[in-house]
Amino acid sequence: MRMAIDILQVLLLILIAPLVRGVVARLKARIQNRRGASIFRPYSDLAKLFRKEDMVPSTASFIFRLAPMALFAVTVIAAAFFPVLRGSALLGTTGDFFILVYLFALGRFLLMLGAMDGGSSFGGMGASREALVSTLAEVPLLLALVALGMVSHTASIAKMVLWTTGQDFFQLSAVHALALAAMVLAAIAETGRIPVDNPTTHLELTMIHEAMILEYSGPSLALIEWASAVKLTGLMALLIGLFFPWGIAAAFSLPMLILALVLWIAKLGALAIALALVECSVAKLRMYLVPDFLGVASALAILAVVFTALMR
Amino acid sequence: MGLFETEAAKALASSAVFLFMTVLLIAAAKRISTCIVMFSAQSVVLVLQVLAVAHMRHSKEAYAVAGLVLIVKAAAIPYALFRIVDALKAPHDVSASTTSSQSVFIAAGLILLSFFAVQPYAGVLGVDEAMLAAAVALVLAGGFLMVSRKKALMQVVGLLVLDNGIFLAALATTFGMPLVIEIGVVFDLLMGVFLMGLFVFRIRDTFEHLDVSKLRRLRG
Amino acid sequence: MIQAFDVLLTVLLLVPAVVLVVRRWPSARIISSALLFCSLATGLAIAGIAFWSGKHVSADLSKWAPFPFSLSLDRLSAFFLFLICLIGMPVTLFSISYIERHYAGARRDWLWVLLPLFVLSMLLVVTASTGFAFLFGWELMTLFSAALIMVDGDSKERRHNIFIYLLMMHAGAALVIGAFFLFLPHAPGLDFAQIRNSVALLPQPFRTAIFLLAFVGFGTKAGIIPLHLWLPKAHPIAPTPVSALMSAVMLKTAVYGFVRFAFDFLGGGPAWWGYLVLIFGGLSGVLGVLYAIAEHDLKRLLAYHSAENIGIIYLALGAALVFVANHAPMWATLALLAGLLHCLNHAIFKGLLFLGAGAIADSTHTLNLEELGGLLKRMRVTGTAFLIACCSISGLPLFNGFVSEWLLFRSFLAASGLHNLTAATILPLATGVLALIGGLAAACFAKVYGVAFLGRPRNQQAENAREVSLPMRLGMVLLAIACVVIGVLPGLLLRPLGATVQEFLPGATLPEEAVSLATLMPWIALSVTLLVIAIALMRRVKKTVPTWACGLPGLNARMQYTSTAFSKPLRKVFSRVYKPDRAVEVLPAGQPFFPNSISYRSVRTTSFEKSMYRPVVDAVVATAYRLRRLQTGNMQVYLLYIFVALIALLMFMRWS
Repeated sequence: MRMAIDILQVLLLILIAPLVRGVVARLKARIQNRRGASIFRPYSDLAKLFRKEDMVPSTASFIFRLAPMALFAVTVIAAAFFPVLRGSALLGTTGDFFILVYLFALGRFLLMLGAMDGGSSFGGMGASREALVSTLAEVPLLLALVALGMVSHTASIAKMVLWTTGQDFFQLSAVHALALAAMVLAAIAETGRIPVDNPTTHLELTMIHEAMILEYSGPSLALIEWASAVKLTGLMALLIGLFFPWGIAAAFSLPMLILALVLWIAKLGALAIALALVECSVAKLRMYLVPDFLGVASALAILAVVFTALMR
Repeated sequence: MGLFETEAAKALASSAVFLFMTVLLIAAAKRISTCIVMFSAQSVVLVLQVLAVAHMRHSKEAYAVAGLVLIVKAAAIPYALFRIVDALKAPHDVSASTTSSQSVFIAAGLILLSFFAVQPYAGVLGVDEAMLAAAVALVLAGGFLMVSRKKALMQVVGLLVLDNGIFLAALATTFGMPLVIEIGVVFDLLMGVFLMGLFVFRIRDTFEHLDVSKLRRLRG
Repeated sequence: MIQAFDVLLTVLLLVPAVVLVVRRWPSARIISSALLFCSLATGLAIAGIAFWSGKHVSADLSKWAPFPFSLSLDRLSAFFLFLICLIGMPVTLFSISYIERHYAGARRDWLWVLLPLFVLSMLLVVTASTGFAFLFGWELMTLFSAALIMVDGDSKERRHNIFIYLLMMHAGAALVIGAFFLFLPHAPGLDFAQIRNSVALLPQPFRTAIFLLAFVGFGTKAGIIPLHLWLPKAHPIAPTPVSALMSAVMLKTAVYGFVRFAFDFLGGGPAWWGYLVLIFGGLSGVLGVLYAIAEHDLKRLLAYHSAENIGIIYLALGAALVFVANHAPMWATLALLAGLLHCLNHAIFKGLLFLGAGAIADSTHTLNLEELGGLLKRMRVTGTAFLIACCSISGLPLFNGFVSEWLLFRSFLAASGLHNLTAATILPLATGVLALIGGLAAACFAKVYGVAFLGRPRNQQAENAREVSLPMRLGMVLLAIACVVIGVLPGLLLRPLGATVQEFLPGATLPEEAVSLATLMPWIALSVTLLVIAIALMRRVKKTVPTWACGLPGLNARMQYTSTAFSKPLRKVFSRVYKPDRAVEVLPAGQPFFPNSISYRSVRTTSFEKSMYRPVVDAVVATAYRLRRLQTGNMQVYLLYIFVALIALLMFMRWS
């Protein structure tokens, strides 16, 4: 029974990911006074891409086609780390957040190699910029998770979620506030949203993530887009689970699970609205101001770690 | 009512967290309007704390002080500052001499310093350590803002934040200063802002910019 | 077992003799390499048995030496012996073909003579159980490696680099000798067992002195920044198998020495020792990888990465020292597990990287990243093995580098349970340092692999590259398999390593984190592999097209990102670390607006050379000049010196 719920959580994350993207895009359009595409558009995009054939540059080696597959596989496994309906996840109870962050790093590394395999300038540019941003973003993400791990005395994400549900919502913790701020900034960098990177830009010189996937087409591109959406949804689920987990099912009863699902979708929706608002009100940072942005995140994360000692 | 009270009391007890976040955000901010909004938020938090004190000690004076701070610091002064910023038509950039992340690191260091500084006194005075540390942190942050931001308006904002810190320190240790003193301080601040408002236009008209580091040209 | 040990030593000594005898025979290289391989295999077997089952072996050879000389294998020595032989075997395989192709005549013979002697000296160091045996092996290691470098050619620049190498190694050795000799009053034979018993009698200042001497002495050999100066000078100029052995194995003997001193002999110490090691480890890690990112000569890049990984090992050792000082033996075990396992992991993937570099040099005759490209399509096996090594060194899961870094991360997190607030805050902050190091390493190796193996060839030689011969491929594949096996099944090594630590750390127990990873990692690896295979089976037809060039005619190799371009964003962000001397020269000099040529030169000298070494060197030279005045050339002055010494001795005798 437990295994079934955990597998269901993973499938939920994977299947709802394109919908999240669609909702954010539609919200942004509405805020910008446009009509916007349907929220199910990413699904039809994926279906269309899967029907097409894969075009591979003549200079490419097997890494070019391996990278999207490995990226998707790794992201699916990473999705098994996030608790959604209950305080447990397929890998989230035994595994810890270090494995999670480095699984993402594995996918990203292979994608960078795939980008350089195309032999074009944009691939190298995208890979080089992504190397910079991801290196600097890993530090605040890991430090914030370490700070949370320190206060909850565990490294497993599911156990951290359970510990947080046992806390009092009104007793704000400085560690959590700082860790939330640091993680939000780092998550923006990891998922490539404004203000770090514009996911809908058409100008190659402003691209970071998009430049890496310029050569990809067909099913490979579909896998990459889907993996990127799953990563966004997964990080949102992580934020919800670590900071606002109240409402997850404590037992296996069906009404509790349904309630947990409804609440989770509501929280996801709230995060999507927040993301859309931020993306519409802030301008994308110039490339060399991104390290500054991530430096702020690092400072907040370091302060979070130090505060765990102060608040003892 | 009882539940609301306990939850409110707990939330207020942890409002030091809000204040620390505003300190860090002011340090990271790149636009003057963000800084003014942060100052306004700080003032609102302080008002809520004064209200809590007023409720606990059933003191009419405290209610009056809360109202005063709300009207002046949370509404009037920010409004005036926004009007000045609009009228100046100057770029909204804050002209910091340290980058955003360096400022946040320094602000974090100041927060830690304030914690270390108040540790021996908090127990003795019977005061919540976080509250007193927040007060010292606000004072230091205000000073840091004045030192590192070159725009003339930012000097005012730094002074206002510093005053917030002193107010909070007074609130934490002696549950607020007498009403007369509070009124005096608040009107001093108002005057300061109006004077600054006047002078800023003079500076801009004479020098074509608002960079206080260039005031060095005035020396002989 | 004892006989096997003797056999091993004899065979290793036999190889040079045999090589000298058979060098004219046509199958000379097969015989010499087979002998070396077999002796290494024997060593591996002995070490494996001692490591996994914990049997102690010893051999006392004092009757053949003028000083106490005995060898013994406890679990720690067995682990390092295992490491040496495990790396030595693929390197030998590789050398069969490599040495044949690149060296001829006397040089080839010398290489085959000196290689086993070099391995023997490293073996001596890790199995020694008296101080003299250790120092004997230590010095031999330096001499043989210098000789091996010298075999490859002795131009003026090479001799300068070798000189710096020898100088720094001897300075380090002097400090190590000093550390050993401080034990002398209480342990006259310098036997390790005697030393362990005598430590309790030493006062604390003595122990601190021994620790600092050992730290700096072994640190010079290990290549901690700022003592790393010889690394980028010596590793690139050595022949590839020797570079592989030096970087992969020789640096670890220094770590072995430090672990022996700090944990086995001294049994840990005050917490500031741990913080000192932690700070220098972190500094090495970050600066090593930052210097590596700016390089485009592959071997120099790999040499700087060795400094980085040694930094990670020292981070682990520092954490362990802090835990020992705070009476937390279980977490000290975790940190030591991380450090020791990282020694093995680094040896494997660094050996593989150097062998890959050798294969690239063999195939394209250049190691300059700016001239390579598109090698994966032309050298499939080398490319895949190199990819596995790149993933391992970046600390990505499913490969061995991740296991040791994960253990280190968990030990830092575990520090939050300590009562000492300083340790409970500083160690978790070290997580950030390690994360930064890992991220930068991944960025650097994405650059290396992407520029060298992917894309278009930038050079005619790269275009004509062909796969290397079978022995070279076999050597690389063996190491790659080791990387993957340890990465997916870490439990194989973790339990015996736990037992190893328990031998010299009282109260140590195997932490449950190690067990949890051992159970989780195979599942993750299995699921990722199955998923990838499932997706691959479902994929559709592919069509090969030219790379999109925005509709313009054809891309050429020069339009790709170069190694310098890839690293530019990182170099710009960390620009305070690099301080290049830039010189722009416009010719002819008097006509700035109509030049014939504009040349741009950017030379990077690491700031340590300017700020640390130059003043020391200048001071030493100045002192030497002043001392020259003692050498007057006058016979009577010299007689005066003897006379004065005699009088001083008489006075000393009278008043003591």
